[in-house]
Amino acid sequence: MAEPRHFLNVAWALTTLLEVVLLAYLLRRKLYRTHPAFFLYVLMVILQSLVQQSCSWYWGSDSLPYWTISWGSQAVVICARWFAVVEIARRAMAMYMGIWGMVSRILIGVSALVLAYSIAVSERQWTLGVLNADRSLELCISAFIVCLFLFARYYRMPMNELERRIAVGFCLYSCAWVINDSIYESWRGSFGHLWDYINIFAFFGSLLLWIGAARKYSELPNVTAPNPLPAERYGELSRELNSRLHLLNNRLDHLLHSEDSRL
Amino acid sequence: MSLAVLMFIVLAIVLIGLLAWAVRPPKKLLLSVDDVFAALSEERHYARLPQILQSLREEDTEFLFGSGHAPLAGRLRAERKQIALQYLTYLEEEYQLLLEASRILAKLAPEVIPMDEFERFRRNVRFVLCCRYLRGRLRLGLPPWGAFGILSDMEGEMTLRLEMTTARLGERAALASESPLFLENRRGDSE
Repeated sequence: MAEPRHFLNVAWALTTLLEVVLLAYLLRRKLYRTHPAFFLYVLMVILQSLVQQSCSWYWGSDSLPYWTISWGSQAVVICARWFAVVEIARRAMAMYMGIWGMVSRILIGVSALVLAYSIAVSERQWTLGVLNADRSLELCISAFIVCLFLFARYYRMPMNELERRIAVGFCLYSCAWVINDSIYESWRGSFGHLWDYINIFAFFGSLLLWIGAARKYSELPNVTAPNPLPAERYGELSRELNSRLHLLNNRLDHLLHSEDSRL
Repeated sequence: MSLAVLMFIVLAIVLIGLLAWAVRPPKKLLLSVDDVFAALSEERHYARLPQILQSLREEDTEFLFGSGHAPLAGRLRAERKQIALQYLTYLEEEYQLLLEASRILAKLAPEVIPMDEFERFRRNVRFVLCCRYLRGRLRLGLPPWGAFGILSDMEGEMTLRLEMTTARLGERAALASESPLFLENRRGDSE
């Protein structure tokens, strides 16, 4: 949670400015139609920044109301991020019905396992409860995205540049959160505001990545979705492949038998 | 710093590393459906397996050693080893082509079976490792018999699996041609 004071104030103002720039690009490119969850996420991040800053001015950044509202808004933002990540996964894979059916189940399973692991190994201190929950969710998001990319690579699924960059940004940001939370848990106070800096810079990098992608969105042609084969062509290819495979299989059978007899 | 906390940091770094690996562009050019089917129709390299196995047998050059032509026999074996290595490269390419075909089929299939996909992935890893092992053995001049057998078996199984998948697809395609609205409805659902 970025605490806006001194240099952090500048960093906070700069990230907020970038968030607004990103929002402007999303509006200009009409990306709220195609990526509503991501649009909503960016909107919520801006709102969170404004709410946090207002609370900080009103109650002070060390007050309980500020802490409660900050972490409460963080929970909402993480949920929004989850929806945005799922939206990207669906957009990247849903066109392949068979693969999407399998991959979605595996991704949910992996996420649940990572979440369970994180909760199981975290320290049982109520003061660290929020921090641990946050870290678990962040690790879960990054594992989900990495698995998504691994599947996309294995099945040679083309990913839209915008979605690829959004996912990379989310993953890097979530990993930075995991590292930040872990550093904070171990050396509370020892590193001063290092915790805030790492976090802000990670988000700063992600924002630049997203802005770049949103800016190029209209310039670069979208990755064309593979057209589902027409039923006639589909059947024709299947029959053709079947007959060729059958031929190959016969040859292989012949080959294996002749090898067996010799060895 | 406790071990659990350290593990979180390590996990995050591992995930960043995996992400960096996964987002790299693939080395090979993507094949189109037609490319794969065209390539499948060509003469397969594994059809040369009996000759390769025969040429690598020591008995094949024994008579040259026996008749006092040791240098010639040595050269013959070295050349045959090179041919076997070349053959291995082709075999690997063929296997990758079959994998590519199976990926395309998975993309087209209305449903895939996770265990089949996992099994294919596991076999791919095994095939790649086997190829490297075999290449190493050949370079060291060790007999490669067992591993060659494993590789050709794996390629055969891959072909069988592809045939089963295409049979399933064929059934669905037949169903779709009988009822043209079937695919249209599915497509509509997915959107």
